[in-house]
Amino acid sequence: MTQVINAWSRIAVLSVPPRPALVGIIANPASGRDIRRLTSRASVFPNAEKASMMVRAIAGLEAAGVRDVMIMPDSGGICGPLFRALSVTTGSPVTVQPRFIDMPVTSSADDTLRATELMCQAGAGAIIVLGGDGTHRAVAARCGQVPLLALSTGTNNAFPEMREATVAGLAAGLLATGAVPAEVAVRRNKLLRVRCDDRTDIALVDLCVTRHNYVGSRAVWDSALLEELFVAFAGADAIGLSAIAGQLEPVTRSAPHGLHVRCADTTLTPQQVIVPIAPGLISAVGIREYGRLLPGQPVVLAPQSGTIALDGEREIEFDPSNRISVELDLHGPLTIDVAAVLENAARRRVLRHYAGRPA
Amino acid sequence: MSSSLTREGLLQAYRTMRTIREFEERLHVDFATGEIPGFVHLYAGEEASATGICMHLNRDDYIASTHRGHGHCIAKGVDPVGMMAEIWGKATGTCKGKGGSMHIADLDVGMLGANGIVGGGGPLICGTALASKLRGSNNVGVCFFGDGASNQGTIFEAMNLAAVWKLPVIFVGENNGYAEATASNFSVACENIADRASAFGMPGVIADGFDFFAVHEAAGEAIKRAREGGGPTLLEVKLSRYYGHFEGDQQTYRAPGEVQKLRETKDCLMQFARRVTSRGELTMAELEAIDVEVKTLIDASVVKAKADPLPKPEDLMADVYVSY
Repeated sequence: MTQVINAWSRIAVLSVPPRPALVGIIANPASGRDIRRLTSRASVFPNAEKASMMVRAIAGLEAAGVRDVMIMPDSGGICGPLFRALSVTTGSPVTVQPRFIDMPVTSSADDTLRATELMCQAGAGAIIVLGGDGTHRAVAARCGQVPLLALSTGTNNAFPEMREATVAGLAAGLLATGAVPAEVAVRRNKLLRVRCDDRTDIALVDLCVTRHNYVGSRAVWDSALLEELFVAFAGADAIGLSAIAGQLEPVTRSAPHGLHVRCADTTLTPQQVIVPIAPGLISAVGIREYGRLLPGQPVVLAPQSGTIALDGEREIEFDPSNRISVELDLHGPLTIDVAAVLENAARRRVLRHYAGRPA
Repeated sequence: MSSSLTREGLLQAYRTMRTIREFEERLHVDFATGEIPGFVHLYAGEEASATGICMHLNRDDYIASTHRGHGHCIAKGVDPVGMMAEIWGKATGTCKGKGGSMHIADLDVGMLGANGIVGGGGPLICGTALASKLRGSNNVGVCFFGDGASNQGTIFEAMNLAAVWKLPVIFVGENNGYAEATASNFSVACENIADRASAFGMPGVIADGFDFFAVHEAAGEAIKRAREGGGPTLLEVKLSRYYGHFEGDQQTYRAPGEVQKLRETKDCLMQFARRVTSRGELTMAELEAIDVEVKTLIDASVVKAKADPLPKPEDLMADVYVSY
């Protein structure tokens, strides 16, 4: 028993966090409402649930010693439910009053870009992101070296995780306060860079050249229109376009390469792979060939005309006059490894304390 | 659906959007003279919505419209010359001059009518959709409504009815940001009208109303689903009107330069022209030729409307009741 008691500190470590910390939270009120609700069986993720997740994350942050939380404002879709959720007194008490960034709201992706910049300028030690792959792509474009805690608010995502927000908040807080060192808590991600003449953009998971003529409703679900696919990583258990690569040659998030797949109409090639291309939608995709994509070796495309989808959303329209290249970059955004943070905290007894003899 | 537009389809889309724009811009000028009776609510700026949706409809599909109905009428195939005469209150108008702007209806082309009752179109379109279902046809009904109407009980009741009876209805929420002078983010208790679909167990989708291709694609999927027996969809189209709620509205509730910025950066006709010409699908010369033809048509419609006779007093009671 003596050994066990020695494992308990008489001081609650987190009552005096190693350093004051600021954490930002970005939740996209528009995520999860695209045409995939019609073309597949994707569900709608309610904004009230996003607000509830934010409060649970704040409870975790507060328990880890974070006292300053910045929130991206919106025109009411999440902020309204957030206030209602904050007023609920069940669960751990939440005394931290999150502050909304003073910025104009445009109800577009520009809000996410601007909020990320302002959080970084304010010295955020971490940014919790609630959204899909597209939301995370926007944050990643501006977050620099500030690590992200990537939370999925939908059924069609590869980059963020489906994870309980309370635990996520705790992990983000432990990192931001320095209670768990960054070297064990943070992972470097890869990304894909595309250049179309003078325009450059990024994708975090997959970049797909399609025969869709227009950006239109953005989503990609028709496997017959896929030309080429590039992935930074691809789980064999992925959902979405990266699942195609995941069933050919799975690529981990840490592997120093990606995958480049040339697709073909299923009537033109005997090589096919069956993949969950969207929630509830499993398609056969024709495969012409595939190979590893190595960093520093841009692939120049010579397509006819169509669109380029970044993380599953058509973004760039091109025609034969455009010069397009795709490159894998190993120096993408940092993300917080929730399991690693909490394992480290457990090993170092960060969350233990000895409350004294019971009365 | 995005790749299904032929060259003829692109030309038709541009012609329809340009006709609506020219019609509304002309009314904006002419209404200020005080010669036009009643009220007009202009659709300029929202053309991609009516056009992108109605291009998927057949003559025997029905639409129910709103008080801002000119664009829906033109996109569904109502004759603009008859519409102009109707708005001028002339006997040659679509409804013999007795309806005016807010009651233009033409059942022959599936246009159930513009509607002064906010949210009044929902129950009407459920009626046509039920008829379609009982007859075993594959016709669909489209209910256009605004962000103000999205808060009306009639719309909720219609969505519920369409969902439980699995009716072939597409509810198109044209969210232009203002219910008269009240901002939708003040009066709509959720960020997106589309979010309300989940309460009725139907898909809710958002489309960019400045982008014809985005609306056309989303509407195509929703209409295909309805024709195939998949039931109703709520499609929210985010857009903006270039003029006031009604002509004469001073719009003190809008930010300075708000409309000008939209015209310069997001205008649906501008975006459409830039995209189809940059890809070589259509030429600027072809689009300019349509502009000239449309202007000639609208000019002629105004000349004719002004010259046409008013309804006669003895026609007052005609067409009031319909025999079954």
